[in-house]
Amino acid sequence: MPSVIVCPACDLAHRRSPAPVIGRLRCARCRAPLLRPENAAVDTAIALALCALVLLLLTNVYPLVTMRINGSSRDTTLIGAALGLHAQGFDSLAALVFLTTVIGPLLQILALLYVLIPLWRGRRAPGQGTVLRVFTHIRSWSFMEVFLLGALAALVRLAKFAHIAPGISLWSCVLLMLCLSELISITSPGQLWQWVERSRE
Amino acid sequence: MSNPVTGRSLGLLVCLACQATVHGTQAAHLRCPRCRARLHERKPHSLALTTALVIAAAVLYIPANILPVMTTREFFEDEPDTILSGVLVLLQSGSWPIAILVFVASIVVPLLKILAMAVLLYSAWRPSPGRRRQRSQLFRMVEFIGRWSMLDVYAISLLATLVQIQSFASIIVGWGAWAFGAVVVLTLLAARTFDERLLWDTPQHD
Repeated sequence: MPSVIVCPACDLAHRRSPAPVIGRLRCARCRAPLLRPENAAVDTAIALALCALVLLLLTNVYPLVTMRINGSSRDTTLIGAALGLHAQGFDSLAALVFLTTVIGPLLQILALLYVLIPLWRGRRAPGQGTVLRVFTHIRSWSFMEVFLLGALAALVRLAKFAHIAPGISLWSCVLLMLCLSELISITSPGQLWQWVERSRE
Repeated sequence: MSNPVTGRSLGLLVCLACQATVHGTQAAHLRCPRCRARLHERKPHSLALTTALVIAAAVLYIPANILPVMTTREFFEDEPDTILSGVLVLLQSGSWPIAILVFVASIVVPLLKILAMAVLLYSAWRPSPGRRRQRSQLFRMVEFIGRWSMLDVYAISLLATLVQIQSFASIIVGWGAWAFGAVVVLTLLAARTFDERLLWDTPQHD
């Protein structure tokens, strides 16, 4: 590997230095983050990914909220919200909601587990490079924190004329958001490839 | 001041997928030796693609704000809501923190993104040496806040799913929501196709 590191945001060449222990190293010219810490353990990432997988299942099985009005009650799950848009004929919006709240996180978790579990056992998953490349493209595809605040805005509007009870899924959704953001932040492309290269030695 | 040493001047490419530094020239179909991602000195057709996406987003921003995003049907009476009137409903019910949140995420953020991208495109088409770092930071802000405009789409999807009570009240999604979703997706794509390095490519004078 060349002893030079090039800023992906402004193309300035820097002498390669070791990754920082905490914080991030920034480009001298445009201040874009250049290097992030690469000291996480594969075990941590696998534990977080498994935890996120369980939380994602919980979030999709249990109702998000239950609304009671005049004796009748209705509830919805995360997938239900996307299906509601589909039922009204807005398929592309339904796909957008489904992709950013269910498929995005699921693909991220599965892609990481597929590569990391073999690495942890000192092996190499078939098609490892392709999966990691796909992962770098879908790293930004989960919008859990935005979804939670959107849900809050919807519930505030409904609370006026109906009784609203938060479901199990709303709480697991909060935990999923925290778990995923930590998982994504420790699995930077630099960190992932450092694990791969270390396992080859 | 002498010209700064860049990847381009050293004949080095940086892989945007895995950040590896690769020796390479203008060779087409070059792939990263580490992750096999396609390598380009600059993102191909960046300015043309980004300009097209930003114009499309700016055009759709108008129906997104004029058309109703949802209609509340209560006892066979329809009450259409645009994004702005939705914010006013929240204000009237006294929940002003949420009202401000929705106002910022759904009206200010998309507008700010479109304007910021227009400024960045202009400075990439006609590069000038001043305030490049600020422009670079403006772009990173656009990337960071982009996802927050999805907030109203999620709120509408939940409202429309929950409020379906036979012959009493229901919420029907409007085409404004579709236009709004399209604005969000187009601006997210525009931030992806834009190559920040174009802001820095002219000779420096500062």
